[in-house]
Amino acid sequence: MVGKRKAKLELPVVPPPLGAEEAARGAFAADRDLTSHHFVEGEHPIVRIEHLNKTFDGTTQVLRDVNLNVWPGEVVVVLGPSGSGKSTMLRCINLLEIPTAGHILIEDEEITGKGATDVNKLRRDVGMVFQSFNLFPHLTAKENVMIGQTKVLGKSKGEAEKEALIQLEAVGLLDRADYKPAALSGGQQQRVAIARAVAMHPNVILFDEPTSALDPELVRGVLDVMRDLAENSGMTMIIVTHEMGFARDVADRVVFMEDGVVVEQGRPEKVFDHPENQRTAEFLGSIE
Amino acid sequence: MPVSGKHAAGQGRALRALVLACALLVSLLIAPPALALTTNKATARPNEDGGHNVIGGLPTRLTWEGTVDAGEQVVSVTLTLPGDGTFEDASVKVTVLDGLDRVPIGVASASAEGDSITVAFSEPIPAGSLLRLELEDTHLPSEGGAVSVTGSYATAAGATVELEASEPIAVIANTWLQQAVAALDASPAVQAWNSNQFLGMFFKPQLMLTSLFSLFPGWLVCLAIVLAAYPFAIALGLLFALMKISHNPLLRAISVVYINILRGTPLFLQIYIMFFGLPMLGIVIDNNVLGVAVMAINSSAYLAEIFRAGIQSIPQGQYEAAASLGMNRIQTMFTIILPQTVRRVIPTVTSDFITSYKDTSLLSSVGVMELMMFAKNATSVSGNITPYVTAALFYLVVTLPLIKVVGIIEKNLARSERGQGTRPGAKAKASQAHAGGGPSLEIAGSSHFEGADGEHSLPGGLLAPFVPAMPAASMQRGDGHGR
Repeated sequence: MVGKRKAKLELPVVPPPLGAEEAARGAFAADRDLTSHHFVEGEHPIVRIEHLNKTFDGTTQVLRDVNLNVWPGEVVVVLGPSGSGKSTMLRCINLLEIPTAGHILIEDEEITGKGATDVNKLRRDVGMVFQSFNLFPHLTAKENVMIGQTKVLGKSKGEAEKEALIQLEAVGLLDRADYKPAALSGGQQQRVAIARAVAMHPNVILFDEPTSALDPELVRGVLDVMRDLAENSGMTMIIVTHEMGFARDVADRVVFMEDGVVVEQGRPEKVFDHPENQRTAEFLGSIE
Repeated sequence: MPVSGKHAAGQGRALRALVLACALLVSLLIAPPALALTTNKATARPNEDGGHNVIGGLPTRLTWEGTVDAGEQVVSVTLTLPGDGTFEDASVKVTVLDGLDRVPIGVASASAEGDSITVAFSEPIPAGSLLRLELEDTHLPSEGGAVSVTGSYATAAGATVELEASEPIAVIANTWLQQAVAALDASPAVQAWNSNQFLGMFFKPQLMLTSLFSLFPGWLVCLAIVLAAYPFAIALGLLFALMKISHNPLLRAISVVYINILRGTPLFLQIYIMFFGLPMLGIVIDNNVLGVAVMAINSSAYLAEIFRAGIQSIPQGQYEAAASLGMNRIQTMFTIILPQTVRRVIPTVTSDFITSYKDTSLLSSVGVMELMMFAKNATSVSGNITPYVTAALFYLVVTLPLIKVVGIIEKNLARSERGQGTRPGAKAKASQAHAGGGPSLEIAGSSHFEGADGEHSLPGGLLAPFVPAMPAASMQRGDGHGR
């Protein structure tokens, strides 16, 4: 019995979060060469991840001391093999997973260790698009996009509907507004899910392998919508994906993770063409 | 009375007393020259199929008895029926008793004419003896009511004297139903059918027909009880389901105790405890109301488990999607989870409704006048099982369509969750990849993130303990033995 059970891990001790100004200065210096996104001195990162650790069951360590800054309007693509902790990191950012240790700050406000009410408030500012779409099957496409606006933002039905139709048009599904998810293809469902997230006008949208559950011929439509969002809306996006071509085209920065650690990060052409890390090179080689 | 004041009232009373006294005197003086033949009684043999009532318009045997007084001999008797009653003169039997001895006197002639029959005797009936007439194939008035037999008699001295009217016989009106039963009785095919022991005992057409009508009120009571109980059962069930998945350990404990006790004991026992226990406490509630209460409480425990399983069958991704929009726990439950749960549990809830409807039969054991009770009564009167078979028909007429409905809903539900047929341009592979293993598809999808072999806990107490698939075993009641 005892032999089979994994030893309990000790909780890592992490320093308290940095002050806003100090962090911004440090991040500016550190990230200047890592991203093709343009930001100016004095600007603050919109998301700061400091010393993030995540342990499941107290035995399996999924994230080890992850540090990452995301700037307003930046598009960050997170790559890495299965089980590397990409999705867990993403889910920590809107507290679908509770970090075991470390800090996550959104607009310089620490979100870890908060009550349910504050968590709900946080989540309306952090949109999420899931691998399995997670549309509400009892609602039409339009209602899926409306429900967060009416229930959470307190918008009137009319306002919400107007916004919903705008967002559905943006993802090319205006003609499917009154269809239930079951009557939509996977690609269409995912585009509705993107419209649902965007309609909340969040500060940042998290994409958790948005095309992994799709048939190859449906992937393109979803990627086009995301590309349009990245290039034309100025939306801050953190994307976990296996779509290398998309990452190279759209990302301002590529983050490579393995075994719960950020192994390498940088501009896409740098990471793809001249990876510094051996594992990054192997992974990119094996994928392509 | 055109008088006023105490004085006038006293006068009126005296006047009435005087009138009464005079009437008495007159009646004594002008009394007929002794009623020589006193009517004792008139009875009719029950002719209701499987019952003990006398029905008008159908053949029965009328028995009339009278006593011949001293000083007179009776040579003939004429009996008369009111309304459209008729006599038959083919089979008339006379019995004359002198004390306990039978006097050998027979029928000289009997002639029936519409509503009356005249029976002449072979010898005058001696004074002091008892006369009994048995008249086969008599038809009492078909409109029913209290029927008195009247008539007259002739004495040996040549006088004709009116008979006093008999005590009335209670006669049931001859409805179209009685006529139909009579027609069945007369039908050779029905007689052949009934001559088969099995068919005659379980499927006697006459009884089938009459019990269809006599059981009907019981069927209505059954429906009323279950229809009144079910809304309460649903509300209570939902309450206890939400309590059971609550994060408050006290609420959870209350719910678990409630559900387990009610599901772990027979409904029969619960009925006895409620029906015999409450009166002991001095709480007297109408039987039907109490029946509704017992059924509602019992059903609520099963529904609570159905709802809980239904709620927990909703994929975790739904909670996460709602959470990522910023919805709180209550918003998530009432706008996202419960609407989906309702659709999923409709088939199971309908099955539970069927069980509840059938289980109202147990209320017959404590005297609620429902279908089973009526069937029991009809069977004990007729000594025939057919009313039970009719009761079965009454149960089936509700349960069979509902079973069919459950099937249709289940099929539609499966189709809508898979998106079959309605989804445009979807390749077979797409729907396969998406639909996977039916309703649990999204679960498979959402647990696919890396490093996620552990539990996924949601912050803020958002997630109820999550069970990926509805545990079918805990949702079905089995066949009712378990209750």
